[in-house]
Parts: sequence; C-alpha cells; structure tokens
Amino acid sequence: MSELTESGPFIATQQSVTNGNPAPTLDALMGELKIKRRPGFLRRFPSGVQTFLTNGKGVAGLIILTVFVVMAALAPLLSPYDPYRRAGKPHVQPGVEHFLGTSRQGKDIFSQLLEGGRTSLTVGFIAGISATLIGLAVGISAGYFGGKVDEVLTFFVNVALVLPALPLIIVLASFVEEASPTIIGLVLAFTGWGWSARTIRTQTLSIKSREFVLAAELMGEKKWRIIVREILPNMSSFVVGGAVLATIYGILAEAALEFIGLGSPSSVTWGTMLYWAQRSQSLQTGAWWEVWPPAVAIMVTGAALVLINFGVDEITSPQLRAARLGGRIKKFLKRRGRSVDVF
Amino acid sequence: MFSETLMEVRNLTVDYVGETSIARAVNGISFDIRKGEAFGLAGESGCGKSTVAFALARLTRLPGLVSGGTVRFEGHDVLQFSKARLKAYRWRETSFVFQSAMNALNPVITVAEQIMDVIETHQPQLGKRGARARAVEMFELVGIPSQRLDDFPHQFSGGMRQRICIAIALALNPKLIIMDEPTTALDVVVQRDIIEQIVELKSRLGFSVLFITHDLGLMIEFCDRIGVMYSGELVEVAAASSILTAPQHPYTRALGNSFPPLTGPRRRLEGIAGSPPDLRALPQGCRFSPRCSRAMDVCTQVAPPLKYYPQSQGQAACHLLQ
Amino acid sequence: MAFLARRLGFYFAAFMVAITLNFFLPRWMPGDPTTRIFMALRGKMRPDQMEMLKKAYGYDGSLLEQYGQYLWKLLHLDFGISTVNFPEPTSSLLFYAAGWTLFLVGVATFLSFGIGLVMGIYSAWHRGGFFDSVFTPINVMMNAFTPAVVALLLWYAFALEWAVFPLGRAHDINLVPGWNWESAVSISWHAVLPVLSIVLVNFGSWHLGMRNTMINLLNEDFVVLAKAKGLSDRRVRYRYVARNAILPQITSLALSVGFVFGGAFISEVVFNYPGLGKFTLNAIESRDYTFIQAQLTLLTCSVLIANLISDVLNVIFDPRLRTSGGH
Repeated sequence: MSELTESGPFIATQQSVTNGNPAPTLDALMGELKIKRRPGFLRRFPSGVQTFLTNGKGVAGLIILTVFVVMAALAPLLSPYDPYRRAGKPHVQPGVEHFLGTSRQGKDIFSQLLEGGRTSLTVGFIAGISATLIGLAVGISAGYFGGKVDEVLTFFVNVALVLPALPLIIVLASFVEEASPTIIGLVLAFTGWGWSARTIRTQTLSIKSREFVLAAELMGEKKWRIIVREILPNMSSFVVGGAVLATIYGILAEAALEFIGLGSPSSVTWGTMLYWAQRSQSLQTGAWWEVWPPAVAIMVTGAALVLINFGVDEITSPQLRAARLGGRIKKFLKRRGRSVDVF
Repeated sequence: MFSETLMEVRNLTVDYVGETSIARAVNGISFDIRKGEAFGLAGESGCGKSTVAFALARLTRLPGLVSGGTVRFEGHDVLQFSKARLKAYRWRETSFVFQSAMNALNPVITVAEQIMDVIETHQPQLGKRGARARAVEMFELVGIPSQRLDDFPHQFSGGMRQRICIAIALALNPKLIIMDEPTTALDVVVQRDIIEQIVELKSRLGFSVLFITHDLGLMIEFCDRIGVMYSGELVEVAAASSILTAPQHPYTRALGNSFPPLTGPRRRLEGIAGSPPDLRALPQGCRFSPRCSRAMDVCTQVAPPLKYYPQSQGQAACHLLQ
Repeated sequence: MAFLARRLGFYFAAFMVAITLNFFLPRWMPGDPTTRIFMALRGKMRPDQMEMLKKAYGYDGSLLEQYGQYLWKLLHLDFGISTVNFPEPTSSLLFYAAGWTLFLVGVATFLSFGIGLVMGIYSAWHRGGFFDSVFTPINVMMNAFTPAVVALLLWYAFALEWAVFPLGRAHDINLVPGWNWESAVSISWHAVLPVLSIVLVNFGSWHLGMRNTMINLLNEDFVVLAKAKGLSDRRVRYRYVARNAILPQITSLALSVGFVFGGAFISEVVFNYPGLGKFTLNAIESRDYTFIQAQLTLLTCSVLIANLISDVLNVIFDPRLRTSGGH
C-alpha cells in the first residue's frame, strides 16, 4: 500500500489521504468468496477433468449413465426370464411374478428392458464413436493439410451435413431386407459424422497456426506425429463433446428407426419394444407397461448424456466457467452497497 | 501547469478471481489526473495498466473485482455510484477508447447508429435530427467524410475505424477520455496521424486523457505526466520530460535503457534480466528486487512506499532514494 | 451476391450427389434389381410383359442411357410409376403427402426457432437466475428425448385419456378440405399435437445455442463499449448482443431442417397423419421402391431449398456478406 505525503504540484487534499474503502487481504477475500484449493486427490487429474468433476450436472449425468451401463452389461445375470421367448400369459400386469408385466406375446418386459438396453446402448455408443472418429479423421485432414484436400473434404462434409439423414437411411434400410441393429448402427455412423468433422476442422485450423505447431514443423517432425502429439491433445475436449453428442444422436436415432419399423423385429432393443407396443396397440388396450419402460429408459439415457454434455461444455468455454464465480462476486459487491460493472 | 484535480485514485485494488486462487492484479495504487492534462500509464504487458483503465471507467469484467479503494471524480466516488448516477457518469463525463477498433464496433449496425445511439440516450431532447447533425459534426472533427456515416465498420480501414471510435468517445464532450492502447494495433504512420489528431482535439476541446500504452517513447511525446507500473504497483510518477532524462526508479531507468535513441551515438541496448513475478507467488518486499541490480537487503524485506521527492519533482517507490 | 451464387452452386452439386445415389442404390444391391423391385408383381405377368415393365421403369439399356432417362424424367417432375399400384404414377401421392409434411415441418420449425430464441435471450441475460438454472437444463434434456416418446406421451395424454385433441388424421374425416374457415379450424386443431410433439423436442437446441452464443458475446469489446456508453439495457441486449448472436443460429437452422423432417416422420406415424412419413412407411412394408426413392429426392430438394432460404436470411442479417468490402 502506498501513502501520499507530498507538496508542490502534487498537492493532495486532506480528505484523500485517509484510506477509504480498504481492500481485504487476499486470504480474507478468498474466505469471503469461498475460493479454496481443490482437494488433493482431485488435483492429480488434468484440469479439464477437474472442471468436469466439479460440475454437479456433469457428474450426475455420469452416475446415471454408469448405472444404466452396468445394469445392461449384467443383463444376462439380472434378467429373470429369457427376453426372446414367451415367459407368461400375454399382457400380464406388473406384479411379483413379472416385475414390469408381459408384452402382447407374453415376453417379460423387465428382461426385455435389460437385454434391450444392452443392444441399444452398445449400438448407440458404437455408432456415436464411429461417427466421431470418421469426423475426426476428415476434420483434422481437411484442417491440417489445407488446399485441395481441404476443398474436396469440406465439400463432402457439407453434403453429409445438408442431406437429410432419415430419408436416406430409410432408402438404405429398405433395400436391406432386415436391418439388424448393427447395420443400423453402421448406417447412422455413415450419416452422422458431418457435425463432428466441421467442428474439428475449425479447431484444427486455429491450433495449426499456433507457435508450437510451427516449431514442430520446423524441427522436421513427421506430419502424423504432429497431428497426434501436438494438435489432438489440444482439442480433446471438443472431441469428447462431439462424441457425447454423437452418442445421443446414435441412441435416439436407432430407437426412432426401429420404432417406425425399419429394424429387425426379432431383435430386442428399446426401439423394437416400442415398435411392438405400438403394433399391438398397448396404449389403447390399457397395457401401459409395454410402452413406458422402454420410453422412460430412452428418455433418461438421453437426459444423462445431455447432463454430461453440460459438464463437457464448461471445459471448452472459459466464459461458462467464469459464470460460476459471477454469483459470488455479485454478492460481495452487494454487501458493500455496490453494483457489478459489466455483466 | 495543471492545477485543478479532475480524478483522484486512492488505494485502488483489483483482483482476478479464479476457481482455486485469486490474483491481485492491481495492489493499492494512488495517483491524480488533472484537468486538461494527459496522464500516461506505462508498463510492460500484464503489469495491470489496462485493468486500472477499466476500473476507472467502471468496466471491470468478470471475473475481475475491484476489492478496495476510491476513485473520486470531481469529488464523488465513482465506485460507489448507483446505477442511475453511473449512467450519467458513463460517456458524459468519462469515455473510453478500446485497443482494437475492429472489435469495439458492432459489425451489424451502421457507424452512424453507433454514434447516434449514445447521443439519443443521453440527450434525447435533440431528437433524431439533432443526433444526426452531431454525428456529422463528430465525423468532420476526426476527418472522415460524412457521406460514409451509413457504412458498416468492416468497410473502413484500421486507422479510420480508430478515428470513428475517437469520434464516438467525443460525442458527448466528456471531461476525461481513457484510451487503452489506442494505437498499438496500427502501423507507425497511421499511429502518428491518430496521435496528432488527439493532440489537436485535446487542445481545442480541453479534455483530460488517461493514456495507456507499453510504448514509452510514444508516451513521452504525448503526455504531460507519466506513471510507471510494475507488477500491479506504481513505481514512479513524474513529468514526461524527466522520465527519460532523470529516472528515479531502477525499473524506469532500465526501461529507458532498452529504447534505442533516434539521434545521438549508437548505444548498447540492455534488456531487463528475468521476468515479471507470478502474481500468485509474489516476492517479499519490493516486487522488482529480484531483477534489480542494486537491490539491498531491506529491498527484499520491506516494500518501499511511493513517496514524493522534491528534488526530482516526482514520486518514486524505492529504498535507494531514502 | 457472389456468396449466394456460390451457395447455389454447392446445393446443385449436393442435389446431384443425392439423386445419383438414389439412382445407383438399387443397382448396387446384390442380384438383379428388377427381381427385387417387381417382387410384388412376380408371377402375375408374362415374360414379355415383364420386359415392357423393365422398359417403363428405366431398367433396360446401358447404364448411361438409364441415367440419362432418369434425369430427363426428373426434370419433368416424373417420379416414376409405383411398383405396387401399377400403373399409378407416384407423383400424385407424393405431392399430396409432401404437402402435409411440409405444413407440419414449416409450422414446427417456425415455432421452435422463435420460442427457443426468445427463451435463449432471456436465459443469457438473467444468467444463473431462476429461469436459467431451471429451464435451460429441462429444455435441453427434452431435446434428447426421442420424438417417438414425446409423440406417444402427448397422444396418450391428450388424445386418449383426456380426449381434448383428435386421435389422428389431418382434418375431420367428413370434411373435404378447401380454402374456407371450417377447413382452417379443423386442420389447425388436428395439427396441434403433431406440431407440439416436434416443437417440444426441437426448441431446446435453439434455446441453448442462442444462450451460449450470447454469453460468449458478452465479453466482446463492442458489447462492453455499448455498456460503457450508458445505453439502455434493452438496446444493448437486442441491438448489440442478440442481433449478433442470431447469425450462427440462422446457419444452424439450415442444418436442423433435416432433423425436423425426421421428427415429423415419427409424429405422423403416431398421429396417423397423411404425410410423407406415414406413406413412406406404408411403402416400405409394401415394397413400393419407387415411392421410397422419390421421397428421398423430394426431401433432399426441400432441405436444400431450406438451406438456400437460410443463406438468404444470412445475407439480410449480416452486412459483412453483402458488400465485397472484406475485413
């Protein structure tokens, strides 16, 4: 802190010498704003992961998703009946014998839900991750190599983005007699990579011009090594975000396609469960238990992924991170009768 | 020369709040700006001078926080202003010129609207006609043909955009204009043009200027008094003429030595060894002591206060002078 | 304007890709395309009649000749003849169904975009407040609900349980639609639930997109300058922030049209709405390949036109695209 004791052309008035509104010490300020260092075990992770783990929404989504994945993985152990065969009378109400009742064909809904989860989640994840990988490969190549390669690849990216996915998938699926979930997954990957590619390309372009990349190039590093070691790590949060979104798309689109009848009716997935429920007019006949379990399962999975995405969003955008502190800063000012300057 | 005080800054402290730590970017600085004078704030990147500029104009962005101090503008503490009083302060009494004119202008509306909206907000009695007339007047003042009023920012060159920003800053005839590195983004020739324009306008209209830059040479030509900042603190305040000729603080002296003189014999340039301290791990005592060639024991224990020394007619914060 | 010309060129190229794909798909599938396509008619016709059929469907001659014929027919809006209801031309059914789907999609897009944007602006401005903390996550999560589930929910609740809205169809079954008040009311009433099911799933993404874009803009110099100028809150919010934030949303609008079509398809299934979705599914079951292919062509065309509209909007809203002034 500085004092002003002066004379001459720097005359300070008596009033201004007294220290009005002293600033709290750093420690006091940290206490007041509740800023503290993160616990030790958390600090071992990279900063991006730390941001994610301290975001309530992201962690909640991750927990929900993990529960679902575990249950689906343990499906053979947890299902009381064989989901593919008749297990009881048709349209039995939920009760002790059949936890969620039975379908029109007498198959146990709970077992189907678990088995269906296995297939739906697997296909959704694979479709989402495949789409992300394709997008990553195309995006990085277009962004890094530039020139003609960029022009050609960008054209294809734009075409993939612009052509409507569902009609195209319908055409493809109708020519294949019975589209098993795997085929649907592949088709979804082939139509859904566009968005990832575009985002990755933009990121690659901005990272490419940074100094450490130029330095690596001047040192004569091989191109693919530069891509993997310098560029990729810097956009990892975007890749993860893109993968989460692509997975949402994969799971939902798969369910939707099977719902309208494009899937293989003999397979058991959440989508086909809805298809059969619609087919057998369950809602009209009051057999709600055939419809709501797969419906809710899809909704909750989607919601969990969205929550995870909220967490990942914070990693990529510093503004959203700063917003966490905004509330506390505003309260600090309010307590002293002051207002925030800008937002 | 300049006798009346326009703005008194006392013990201004600005912090940047992070998720796990707080960095004190400005540590209790105090200085005055007189009516009609050009006060420069110099220092290297990251020393906090832009932060001071924003704080004085009440433009501190999150996660920045003005945690202490007073900023008295004609006697009233700006930091305590209510929303209504702040609105009157904004632009009518203090205006701001940003570093990057391209970023400071809204790309989707005409430049005419960007001058007129501030006039219409603060002087609604003028109406649209009056606002337009004033906009034309402002453009002529900075030397842009008024036919271009209805163009968009991207249609102007860098230098012209900065002139537009200056025109906007002058629109309400403020008493103080804070300029944050207004010419850093421009090439030298345009830089000279802009500075000359500001000088001419200042002598004509009589406003004060707080001029922020890292270019010490430019500042010495333009400003009346200069404050040198280092790592969030003021280390020297003196008349522009004596900053280079009779620097009191070792940092100021080192800064002067790192500028090649345009005339005179070629001299060996000396940089300043080391780098500014990390705000989260500050040295005890004087913040410059790790890099000071003449540091004494007391320098590493006690922080020197900013004191006025009549022999140099300036203020400095250094144990060597006591 | 060079910008628009370039976009038009791209759309034309994309369209060519789509219809070429459409042309080659049946020919790439294993086996003779004709056997699959005419499966429904097999056994009912003599061999020489089959030969004539092949000709009628454009499956004779060299590949190049077939392609030329295909393009020529398209130019005349001739989508071919139904493989199931021979010799019914596909166009009539196609355009009838397309009309209803486009109606749903148009209204739904307009509503989702509008509502989402308004909510996004409000959330961004009152960031962290009640509305933002509660509704932003909810709206975005609804975005992740599959349209099938939302449509079923709505149908169950409002058409079945509490019979507020009709169970399905585009208009009253006894009504012959025309340009009169009665038709308008009936059609609107029947459209409420289908449109709502599409809107509920889509508006969340506009909400989040607009909100995040605006929050990112709040740190820009020109917004801070607007605040520094003492301009009214309203002015800063709309003229400076929202006006700039809307630009990327317009670009996304074009991309989202494809998804909205998907959602519309599903709603049509649930609500028995006579649009492309329902008829395409019928076509899948009855193996009417001509219809399936035709809907791809038509839908691609619609999406590309929607993209073009979005580009025009972009030029209107972003002065930087108008003049060739450069940055």
